[in-house]
Amino acid sequence: MASLPKRIIKETEKLVSDPVPGITAEPHDDNLRYFQVTIEGPEQSPYEDGIFELELYLPDDYPMEAPKVRFLTKIYHPNIDRLGRICLDVLKTNWSPALQIRTVLLSIQALLASPNPNDPLANDVAEDWIKNEVGAKAKAREWTKLYAKKKPE
Amino acid sequence: MSSGGENDHFYSFDEGDSSSIELYESQNTSEFTIHGLVFPKLTSVTSQESEFDINEDEDGVDTIYDGMLDTPITKNSKRILCEGSVPNLNYECLTTKGIFERMLQRVDHLQPVFAIPSADILILLQHYDWNEERLLEVWTEKMDNLLVELGLSITANVKKDNDHNSHFREVEFKNDFTCIICCDNKNTETFALECGHEYCISCYRHYIKDKLHEGNIISCMDCPLALKNDDIDKVMGHPSSSKLMDSSIKSFVQKHNRNYKWCPFADCKSIVHLRDTSSLPEYTRLHYSPFVKCNSFHRFCFNCGFEVHAPADCKITSAWVKKARKESENLNWVLSHTKECPKCSVNIEKNGGCNHMVCSSCKYEFCWICEGPWAPHGKNFFQCTMYKNTEDSKSKNAEDANKTLKKYAFYYRLFNEHEVSAKLDWNLGQTVGTKVHALQERMGISWIDGQFLSESLKVLNEGRTVLKWSFAVAFYSDASHNLTKIFVDNQMLLATAVEFLSELLQIKNPEVIMKRRPEFYNKAGYVENRTIALMECGRELLCKGICKVVE
Repeated sequence: MASLPKRIIKETEKLVSDPVPGITAEPHDDNLRYFQVTIEGPEQSPYEDGIFELELYLPDDYPMEAPKVRFLTKIYHPNIDRLGRICLDVLKTNWSPALQIRTVLLSIQALLASPNPNDPLANDVAEDWIKNEVGAKAKAREWTKLYAKKKPE
Repeated sequence: MSSGGENDHFYSFDEGDSSSIELYESQNTSEFTIHGLVFPKLTSVTSQESEFDINEDEDGVDTIYDGMLDTPITKNSKRILCEGSVPNLNYECLTTKGIFERMLQRVDHLQPVFAIPSADILILLQHYDWNEERLLEVWTEKMDNLLVELGLSITANVKKDNDHNSHFREVEFKNDFTCIICCDNKNTETFALECGHEYCISCYRHYIKDKLHEGNIISCMDCPLALKNDDIDKVMGHPSSSKLMDSSIKSFVQKHNRNYKWCPFADCKSIVHLRDTSSLPEYTRLHYSPFVKCNSFHRFCFNCGFEVHAPADCKITSAWVKKARKESENLNWVLSHTKECPKCSVNIEKNGGCNHMVCSSCKYEFCWICEGPWAPHGKNFFQCTMYKNTEDSKSKNAEDANKTLKKYAFYYRLFNEHEVSAKLDWNLGQTVGTKVHALQERMGISWIDGQFLSESLKVLNEGRTVLKWSFAVAFYSDASHNLTKIFVDNQMLLATAVEFLSELLQIKNPEVIMKRRPEFYNKAGYVENRTIALMECGRELLCKGICKVVE
């Protein structure tokens, strides 16, 4: 494997030495471009008390190309589909090389706190969210209980 | 409508459609008057201005098409035709570069209104998809806010974190520079906008290179401040902004596909701009097709983006093409490109444009299409283009499907034959250029006098195209109707005429060519007449609903 770019080494070091609260990201032993990520559900959201697992991959062209991120834990959210794919501007059109892994993960956490059903990826969930927000949130809470890991007290 | 002998073309029409009867009359008379005479229409074509614009040396191939397929036949034209006429299409052919240059002119024009640098106006226009009106609207509403939004001016509260005496918007060399993108520490050239976000030149180049094809405004990697074309060229070290502008114009064309169409021909980068689309519905209603021609002389239908498909309209064309796609897998292997000689069974591959085949081993003359003897073809009718509706309409239902397939196979084969022939004609065209040269050199003929060869080839091409698509029309037409019969007769006449002309064009000896020159005029003029007649007849079938797509 080609040597790891200095940028990735630096970012990885920083993630370990100065972790973001509520977020962990560890590179895989065999492939240092592949990260196992966990994000805690933000408080006051239907996802609180849950810990969600994600995978993150830095493509060859990183940081010119955005990292690829996907939810591994099942989640009921209008901008995240059944395969865990995420609809988020900074992962697509608004990516800039000046952004980092940590900023991306923070954006995902923010997306959990404020879902955007008007720009949906999972259409059925978004529809539910618009028509019956209370019910949808209850379902999201239920899914969090069912599928996400419990936050230790 | 059963009266009328086999050779009688003057079928009566229900609605006293006198104009169309006139049409058939005029054709038949022209058939007789042109014998032995230089047909005047052709010479008048060669004297049109556009003929002088072309470069004689262009591969020796003369590709001028100002022919009958480009402009629909209207009542104003010489021939009297059946009802309805459509306005001429007002269009122009452009390239992305041409459109961009026009946009630059608009920028100069707008500069006094905006009172900001031209480069900034360019960015504004780029953002608003080159839509001047929308831009002006937003501009009057938002003004300064718009400039901030699009990264053209920096807000007071954006801190300039490096206030060292950097030369913004200039490439600078720095020792021991740490770039936060690649995290490398090196002696390197750097670039920064007024925001002070400074990166090494290799990261900047990589970033810009990835964005050039998107056509959007390229901003600083860390804030919305926009890079202008000058900046892009400075960073890249060579003029790259033209590529960005090209991409932007391309997306503009894509978004305005009602007025702008890409030429569908392979590797052609022309864009046809139809200034006024209001006449298009009229074209559709009268079963004309809006054929346009790009600067590389590719002709296509502005409506469906397909090649010239008269006499078929867009609906018939798309149905036919769809069907061909579906059925071709079954049929293609049947319609291989070789055939056995009907007499001695030697395998023959057709490598010339004419359907009059002479077997090289047994000298048997036959027709490539029907594989029958050639002798009856030359004189009167082209029997092989007539679908023989052998069975009576008694046992319909059960065999209907099978019959449709058979009918389709029949017409598809004809369509295909003429497509192949048209391709071979194209090769013929390559040799026509050399023939013209040979005439000039060996016979001392002037260039303009040698043009009858390329003129004839042009007429042949158009004739074949119309003939080819007429089989699509024939397939969808009600075979029992009298007008369909007239149409089929017209097909035969054109097919015969095309074969004659094709054969003439095979002649290689310059002396013979010059000697038979009047024949070229005659045959070409005749093909031209037959082509127009077939086109009109096909359109009439469509107008009267005799030819329609049955779901």
